[in-house]
Amino acid sequence: MAAPALLLVALVVAVATGSSEVTVAQLLGSLGRGLRGEAVGALDTIVLQIRVPRALLAALVGGGLGLAGAVYQGVFRNPLADPYLLGTAGGAGFGAALAAVFGGSAGFLGLQAPLLAFVFALASVIVVMLLAQQGGALPVVRLILAGVVLSSILGAGTSFLMLAERELTAGILARLLGGFSFAGWAEVAVVTGFMVPAVVVAMSLARALDVLQLGEEGAAQLGLPVESVKYVLLVAATLVTAAAVSVAGIIGFVGLMTPHAVRLLVGPRHRALLVHSLAWGATFMVVADLLARTVITPAELPVGIITALVGGPFFLVLLWRRR
Amino acid sequence: MMSSTRRPSRRPLLLLSLVLLSSLAAAQGVTVSDDLGREIRLDETPKRIVSLAPSHSESVCAVASCDLLVAVDSNTDFPEEIADLPRVGNAFAPDIEAIVALEPDLVLADEYSGVHEALQRLGVTVYAGTPQTVEETLAYFTTLGVIFDESERAAELSASIEASFEAVGEALEGVARPRVFIELDPTPYSAGPNSFIGTLLSRAGGDNIVTGDMGDFPQVAPEFVVASDPEIILLTDAPFGESAASVAARPGWASITAVREDQVLELSVEQVNLLTRAGPRLAEAVELLVTLLHPELRLPELP
Repeated sequence: MAAPALLLVALVVAVATGSSEVTVAQLLGSLGRGLRGEAVGALDTIVLQIRVPRALLAALVGGGLGLAGAVYQGVFRNPLADPYLLGTAGGAGFGAALAAVFGGSAGFLGLQAPLLAFVFALASVIVVMLLAQQGGALPVVRLILAGVVLSSILGAGTSFLMLAERELTAGILARLLGGFSFAGWAEVAVVTGFMVPAVVVAMSLARALDVLQLGEEGAAQLGLPVESVKYVLLVAATLVTAAAVSVAGIIGFVGLMTPHAVRLLVGPRHRALLVHSLAWGATFMVVADLLARTVITPAELPVGIITALVGGPFFLVLLWRRR
Repeated sequence: MMSSTRRPSRRPLLLLSLVLLSSLAAAQGVTVSDDLGREIRLDETPKRIVSLAPSHSESVCAVASCDLLVAVDSNTDFPEEIADLPRVGNAFAPDIEAIVALEPDLVLADEYSGVHEALQRLGVTVYAGTPQTVEETLAYFTTLGVIFDESERAAELSASIEASFEAVGEALEGVARPRVFIELDPTPYSAGPNSFIGTLLSRAGGDNIVTGDMGDFPQVAPEFVVASDPEIILLTDAPFGESAASVAARPGWASITAVREDQVLELSVEQVNLLTRAGPRLAEAVELLVTLLHPELRLPELP
C-alpha cells in the first residue's frame, strides 16, 4: 500500500534536509560509511548521529501515538479519545517540570527529565485506573472523568512550577510543546523497545477491538472477556504513549487525528486501522518535524505548534462535514 | 464733593508674583519619560525609592546613592550594602501593600509586567522601563541623572564605561575572534548578536555563531550548533543543571571543537547575573567575557 512507501520517502527527505547543506551523494556516502562503521567528520556526525536518529524517532513517536490513538478510540468507542486522555500528558509535563526545577545535573531523586516524565506519565494512568475501578471493572465514563481530573491537577502543578521559577519557564514550555531536538540512538532504542510489544499486543487484539464496537454488553454476550481486553489494550497503548512523551514531549493532535484520517481511507476495521494509523502517524510526524526545523531555519519551532496548526483546521473540517 | 484718589491697583503686582512663584516651582521639578512613553513629573528630587529590578537597584547606587533605596526586589543581590533592605517581591509578583506602605517618592519598575498600573491607581509615582541594550543602558543613566539631579555623576559613569570599551577594543586589536555559542537554556535557546549579551560578546572579541537574522533569542537546531563548530560554549544555564558533561552527551555534540578542547564553560550565578543585567557593571561584564574568551590576554588597567 501507499503508506509504507510514503513513510520511506518522508524519512529520506527528512534525513536529506536540515540547517546544513547535504547533497544526496554526501548523504549516501555517510550512510555507507556508517553501515561499515567508518564514520568520520562533521558531515557523518550530522547525518548519522543527528538526522537519522531524529527522523527515526519522529517516525516511531508518530507511529506510536497514531496507534495508541486508534486503540484508545476503539476502547472508549469515542471519536474524541486521544492517547493523553488518561493523564499521560499531565503526568509527563509535571515530571519534566519537576526535573527542570529541582533537578540540576543530578536529576530529581537521581532521575533525569525523560525518566521522570515517563514515571509520572505511567503513575498518572495507574492512579486514574485505580480511581475509576468499580467492582473489578473499568467503566469508560469513570476513566474519562478521572483522567480529566488528574490532568487538571497535574496541569496546575506544572503551571505553578513554571511560575515559581521564571527563568526555567521557556525551557519547560518548550518541552511541553514537544520536540525532537536531542533525539539520539538511545531514545530510538527506548521507544522501539516499547513499540514492538505494543504493536504485537494491539494487532493480536484487533478482532477483539472490532467486537468491542458493538458495545460492551454485546461484546460480552459474544464471549469477549471485555474487562481483560480493555485493560491489556490500555496498558499497551499507555506504555507507548508514556515512552513517546518522555522523549519527545507532549505533541498533540497526532493521536487524535491520525485514526480519523485513516478511517476515511481504509474503513473502521481494526486490522487495517491499526496498521495504517501506525504508518500514517509516523509519516505525519516526520513531515511535521521536518517543517518545524525548516520553516525558520536554522532556528526551530516546537513541533507541537505544527501539529496543532494542522490538527485544528482538520477538526474544523471534520465537524463541519458532520453537521 | 471731594474726589477720592484711587490707590494704584495691587492686582497686577499680585498676579505677577504669583506667576513668578509658580514658574519657579515648575523649574524645580523635572519631567522624564519612561519606556512606555509615560511622562513622569517629579516636583522634588525623590528621596525614597523602591526598585523592582536588579538593574534599577545597581544603577541607583551607582548614579545617586544606595541610601535612597527603601526597598528592593527579591532578585537584587548587588551591591553588598543593600543586602539588608526589605524585599517587596519582584515586578511580576509584587507585594503591592508593602510598596505602598513604604510611601516611596518613586518606584522603578519594568515595562512588561503592568505593575505600574496597579501602583499608579494607588497614587504611587512609577517609572516603567528597563534598559534592554547597551545603548539603552547608557541613555538610562542620563535619565537617572536627571531624576536625581546627579547628571554629572551619570555622565562620568557613562564616560568611564565607554572608555573601558575602547580600552578593551584596543587590547583586542589583531586578536583572533573565537566562534562562540551562548546557551541560554538546554532546549537549546541561544542569544543573537543584537541581544544584550550578544552585544557584550561582540565587544569582548567573540564571534557569535548565531547570526542577526535569526533573531535575538532563537531556539536553534542542535544540528546548526554541530555544523557551526563553536570553539567556546558559554553555559549560562549551568546554574540550572547543565554541565560540560551533559553537553558532551548530546548526540553528535562530542565532535564539536569546544567539547573536545574542554572549552564548555559552566558559568556561575554571579557571572550569569553580571552578563545579563543591563546596569552599571557593563565594563566588568565585558572584562569577564574577555578573560573567558581570551585567557592568555593581559588586559590593561581599565578606567
